[in-house]
Amino acid sequence: MDLVDLIDEKRFLGQEFLTWLWYKSEERGGTVFLPGTGDIQLVFEKHMLLEFGEGEAFEKIVCQGLQAELNEARTGLRMGKKLEQARIHLIMGEYEWHMTLKGSMMEFRSVKPPKTMAEGEESDDQEAVEGRLLERMGLLETATQTIDALFRLFLDVRLDQSGWQQEITSMRNWIHKSAA
Amino acid sequence: MGLLSASATFVRYSVEGELPPNFLDFAAERIALNAYRDIDDNYEERSVGWVSVLNMFDASFEYASFIAGDNVVLTMRIDERKVAPKVLKKFCLKEEERIKKERQIPKLSRSQKLEIKENMHLLLLKKAVPVPATYDLCWNLSQGTLLFFSTSQKAQTELEEFFKQTFDLSLMLQIPYLTAEHLLDKVDHDALSRLTPDIFV
Repeated sequence: MDLVDLIDEKRFLGQEFLTWLWYKSEERGGTVFLPGTGDIQLVFEKHMLLEFGEGEAFEKIVCQGLQAELNEARTGLRMGKKLEQARIHLIMGEYEWHMTLKGSMMEFRSVKPPKTMAEGEESDDQEAVEGRLLERMGLLETATQTIDALFRLFLDVRLDQSGWQQEITSMRNWIHKSAA
Repeated sequence: MGLLSASATFVRYSVEGELPPNFLDFAAERIALNAYRDIDDNYEERSVGWVSVLNMFDASFEYASFIAGDNVVLTMRIDERKVAPKVLKKFCLKEEERIKKERQIPKLSRSQKLEIKENMHLLLLKKAVPVPATYDLCWNLSQGTLLFFSTSQKAQTELEEFFKQTFDLSLMLQIPYLTAEHLLDKVDHDALSRLTPDIFV
């Protein structure tokens, strides 16, 4: 299958992952346990985009608001829509990232990595510049690796038939409860 | 929204194929061959090439090397002369009117109009200032992954072609399904390929 067909046919995978991730973050009040890393904080905030259907029946809704006010997005879930884009606040230890994830294509948008150095301390000599580049790449890599680890967690449960049945029952309960 | 901006937007690629031996020498040679060439002082319509991520005027990588740790960091710079369609239309009409008056004829033929359009396009293109666009990339050599700092499909296609031209290596956009294949063991690939959308309500 070529890439264009793959994108089209498998776009649900990233959307199901984001929807599951929202459920997972709310299951324990914003905390998700990541094997090998421990507890990380994951909060869905401000901006969300949900999609449903395809072709002429395609619908999408955009919701913006504070975390507590994502009621329209929650209602969207109850109507069968899935998350296509979400703004996520990720906290690991002392470090914090903000990022927008686009589900169907796994795009990382407006990723704000933690600030690690005051602006005045930045020097322009070559070593300092390379150091700054490496640090920036390291911080972005940590963000992508964390999302990969969460995606792996999702895949493990998604591919396990009985595990997924259990998970989807809990998700359905969460969707109906949170939209009420 | 590049590698060093306060907020970064990017997609991931995997780099397909084996790195050639003496990769750093190979890379230096290929990058130099495909470095950005300035077109400000000539009439070329378009130029694509590599520059330093720190300075879009540094195409010889004097100020900063393209290697940072185990990564190749580069900026793809594309300068392009463009003529806005409305501007082209205006100048074509103006020229058509001038010729009609000069030759005392009521109408111009289709071929005459086409010729005017072609000439005008060339004339305006020469007057246009090249518009620059820069796109950063960060290629992790040990993992064979690449971050490309743009979500524009046009820029991505441009990168895929120019990267191939430079390094003889192909790039594969990491959509969720392909990322899943990388994350999972081979035995799970079959189950992954059989997954169909589920209903969450």
